[in-house]
Amino acid sequence: MRARLALLAAGLLAMALPATAADPPLRPPVRLIVKPLLCLIDKGATSCAVTFDIRWKSAVEAEYCLNDEAQPAPLRCWPKTLSGEHRHERLVTQDFAFWLSPPASADRAAEVKIEVLRVDSDDRRRERRSRHVWDVL
Amino acid sequence: MNISIWRHWLMTIALCAAASATHAQSATPTADAGSEGPPTAAPPVMRPLPEEKSWRLGIGLGYGERTNPLIQSDDIPVVVDLDIAWFGKRWFFDNGDVGFALLDNRRFTTNVVARVNSDRAFFAKTNTRFVTFALTSGGGTVPIADPITGVPLPQPPPTALKVPQRDYAVELGLETLMDGEWGEATFRAFRDVSDTHNGFEISADYSYRWTHGRLSIAPSVGVAYKSAALNDYYWGVQPGEAGQTLLEYHADGGFGWEGGIRTSYYLSKSMRLAVSANYERLQDSVARSPIVEQPYVFGYFAGVAWQF
Repeated sequence: MRARLALLAAGLLAMALPATAADPPLRPPVRLIVKPLLCLIDKGATSCAVTFDIRWKSAVEAEYCLNDEAQPAPLRCWPKTLSGEHRHERLVTQDFAFWLSPPASADRAAEVKIEVLRVDSDDRRRERRSRHVWDVL
Repeated sequence: MNISIWRHWLMTIALCAAASATHAQSATPTADAGSEGPPTAAPPVMRPLPEEKSWRLGIGLGYGERTNPLIQSDDIPVVVDLDIAWFGKRWFFDNGDVGFALLDNRRFTTNVVARVNSDRAFFAKTNTRFVTFALTSGGGTVPIADPITGVPLPQPPPTALKVPQRDYAVELGLETLMDGEWGEATFRAFRDVSDTHNGFEISADYSYRWTHGRLSIAPSVGVAYKSAALNDYYWGVQPGEAGQTLLEYHADGGFGWEGGIRTSYYLSKSMRLAVSANYERLQDSVARSPIVEQPYVFGYFAGVAWQF
């Protein structure tokens, strides 16, 4: 117990100490592009099957792993490189995120959120259409 | 030993402790050198859908018009379309309609609904024109003479040509909503309860929505029967309203129909581009009325819609 407290204190102290010039440089910006970003679920469907086209580009060579919020392990990792591409088939039922992280790290260097929209409703009243003159949507 | 070395040493101890405590067992994929590999597939994570909010608030901004079939009238511009609705367990408010769900099961939902008649909206955009009567003969205007004495009469004053005033009617009725893989259907029967026109309307609508990617297209068709009392109140010319410019006219009951399409391209969960068009053919007896200029109502809108 005492050892754990000591480790916790050491961790907190480490985070509180200011960074100096001897620290590694900040990770260069990386751009993550995922298509599509939105899927529509209509009547009778509980999910949409999507093949995601995932690309990333970095200003300098770096190692990155691609993560999916629904997966405990990374989908794929790349060695030191400037860019990467990946296609990922997935059934989507709700919002989730893809992100890039350095290997064995929880840091998210870039993140893209995928949204799911139900265009129907279990409540039929929400689907009714009035016949008013201004109702155009 | 400077601060930086201390910081790294402490961080290393902390990370090692965290790693041993969590016993991370997830398989780490091997790094590959290629830029693109075969698609990977993952099963869906099934979690219950979040409960829908009671309030539905939305706004559409763009441009559109709905033609006005009345004589001496202006088309109705549609620049803003507000969507304000609230759905309780049984009661609901939907853009002016107030309803109560009587029956709700797997096959259909039946509501009792109170609404305001929509025909009245056209009568809010009318103008008055003044008409002068003259006698023409031989290609020119000649004075109107007394038919007995032959003495020319003074020029009659201009006569107002205007659409008669009409009131809003509150209607109460039943509607049944059905849906399935085949689309959506609505059946409605409403009767005036405000002692305005004392008529009724029965209608049926069908629509089907296709969804592909971010695009949603929903064509619809509908047919409505309006009683003679309803049609005559709004579209007839009553004896007290008839004159030199408007002849007395009584509209009968009958069927009208409509068709439309609503298209949405979703930019995000809450924002979409919306394009819609609707054509309504007025019932024949209504179209023949002297206060009706066009036998149809055409509406369209294009803009951006937000759902909050």
